[in-house]
Amino acid sequence: MSPRERSGLALMAPAAGVLVFLFLIPTLILLVFSFWLSKSFVLIPAFTGENYMRALQSSGFIAVMLNSLKIGLITATVSVILSYPMAVFIVFKTRTNLFMYLVLASWFTSYLVRIYGWRMILGSNGLINSSLLAAGLIDQPLDFLLYNAVAVVVAMTHVYIPITLLMLVSALRDVSPDYIAAAKDLGAGPMQTFLGVTLPMINRGLISSFMFTCILAAGDYITPQLLGGRTGTTVGLLISNQFRQSGNWPFGASMAFISFVVFVALYFAVVVGFRVARLAPYRRYH
Amino acid sequence: MRRMWTHEEVRAAADGRYSELLLSRRRLLGMGAAATGAAALGPFFPRAARAEVGGTLRMMTWQGFDMIGDAQPWLDANGVKTELATITAQDDVQAKFLGGSPVPIDLTEYNQAYNRFYVDELDIIRPLEMDKIPNYNKDNIFPGFYQGERWYWDNTQWGVPFTWGLNSLVYNPAMMDKPTSYKDLLKPELAGKITITDEITGTWPIAARVAGFGAKYPNVTRDELAEIFEVMKEYRAQSKTFSPSNGDIISLFAAGDIAACFNCWSGIPFEAAKQGVKLEYVIPEEGAVMWCDAWFTPRAAENIDTAHAYINETLKPEYQAKLAKATTSGCVNHNAVALMDEETRALFNYDDLDSVFKTSPLEGIPPRESDEFATYDDWVRAYEDLKIGL
Repeated sequence: MSPRERSGLALMAPAAGVLVFLFLIPTLILLVFSFWLSKSFVLIPAFTGENYMRALQSSGFIAVMLNSLKIGLITATVSVILSYPMAVFIVFKTRTNLFMYLVLASWFTSYLVRIYGWRMILGSNGLINSSLLAAGLIDQPLDFLLYNAVAVVVAMTHVYIPITLLMLVSALRDVSPDYIAAAKDLGAGPMQTFLGVTLPMINRGLISSFMFTCILAAGDYITPQLLGGRTGTTVGLLISNQFRQSGNWPFGASMAFISFVVFVALYFAVVVGFRVARLAPYRRYH
Repeated sequence: MRRMWTHEEVRAAADGRYSELLLSRRRLLGMGAAATGAAALGPFFPRAARAEVGGTLRMMTWQGFDMIGDAQPWLDANGVKTELATITAQDDVQAKFLGGSPVPIDLTEYNQAYNRFYVDELDIIRPLEMDKIPNYNKDNIFPGFYQGERWYWDNTQWGVPFTWGLNSLVYNPAMMDKPTSYKDLLKPELAGKITITDEITGTWPIAARVAGFGAKYPNVTRDELAEIFEVMKEYRAQSKTFSPSNGDIISLFAAGDIAACFNCWSGIPFEAAKQGVKLEYVIPEEGAVMWCDAWFTPRAAENIDTAHAYINETLKPEYQAKLAKATTSGCVNHNAVALMDEETRALFNYDDLDSVFKTSPLEGIPPRESDEFATYDDWVRAYEDLKIGL
């Protein structure tokens, strides 16, 4: 091993150690638990697929899983679409990071404060309803603004846009303006340039920002509970209930691993989708 | 084998009469080696329980219920320091004490519904030594809170109740007429104007009552459970949301988003008034549900004597009156009632607590295992399905 490799390993070791001890080992333990049984908070060693079968046959779990995925996908899509123009502006149109700092500023406030902030904006006595009532445009507060999936997506988009923006800015910084200029010189329009030049070059950053946001949003169970009204039950909450209320760690673990598999499958589906659409050439241009 | 020190020798050492111990060189070396070994291996072994009041008292309570500020003179006088942890859900309690390395908390509290579960199934509660809690006696304590079945069985006191309250129906009189029954919440004009408290010890028994199975709760069959949650679907359809906390409920009332709350803490109107929202709580024909929290010392407790002494302190009338005011709850020591301000005293009918117990009984939780009745897990599943909308 060369000195360069040795120093690289030494630099990597602390982070790798943290991941191994605080993520990999607990995850493996949880995987083992998922094949065990439980009785009143007491784990019973076994090797059975009963928990997985029960979860997959549970219409509640399936419905909530689909609902969580829907919220995650919509939030990630909207966040990426809204972040992209701003990322382009920050990278190519202005040399200042001021706009990025303005977006990131919201992260300096508490997560819960932001959620309750949205309640104050969308609620019956909130900013929007009060303004519309004061302007005489409505007689009664609009109920549909809050306590539904739309409110959840709006709030989570606000929460996760800084993540997608950061990742897209990072990806776009690797795209040389010369390539875009060359495409234009060769007669490509804006959409052709985007699909043929920019997107293939940032596909990894784009997929990462999309999947990162999708997984975080789909697993979030605070925002859906506070803003989602009756649609507020998510997979995270179901899993949490098994660990806390029912004391059935094996069943909770099996649900967690099913969710994990679903997210991994979704990731590969997105990657394959990009490849099939010839948007992910897996070749470095720079 | 080396003999243990006698009490007299220990006392002599503490008094500085070392010569009385007649330490031989070998014994001195042995003690040094033992001390070194203890220092090295100590962290890997459970610490010994303290046998006097003092040291650090590790407590875990619901927010605001530790009342450390008001106990400070007592803590200072007894040289007690505190380490506090907060309970955010009842599940926090059992989670801390299960497994091979239970957290060494000296004093915490349980909701009455979990009594048998904690003692008989999880075995996380240590019997209390009642000679160390003299303030818990039938002359001081309301009869309903003295040695009841939720805290005392098998000739053993497992918990000492110290605070209680009611979960009932809270409404905003500016948005609806005074309800007399939970069924009033099903009126069409209240569609989307109610919330259901997402808390099982109150919501489940009230659900059983509105479906006509209140007398059987918590022992209902699986068919009856299905009927209960069929009825609850109507309340879900009327609801705007399931509220995860009291703060959330107050926020919903303050924002004008809801007119009423199903299974609501009776202290909500008191807390909402601080935000300028006038609410009222009523006990409808289905009755209310009483909750009562009891102190207990976990099996993993170390500073046991101090925990007992602190329990004793919290049963004093002055402390009880302050706790009731600060937490908008009820007292268990009847001598505290005279020390309360009018507002706090008016929260509950202290003149006729027997009738409060009749209309608002202390409820349990469904059995963990049963072939005959719906189990706790059956209830969790049915409740989850209700929330999901299945």
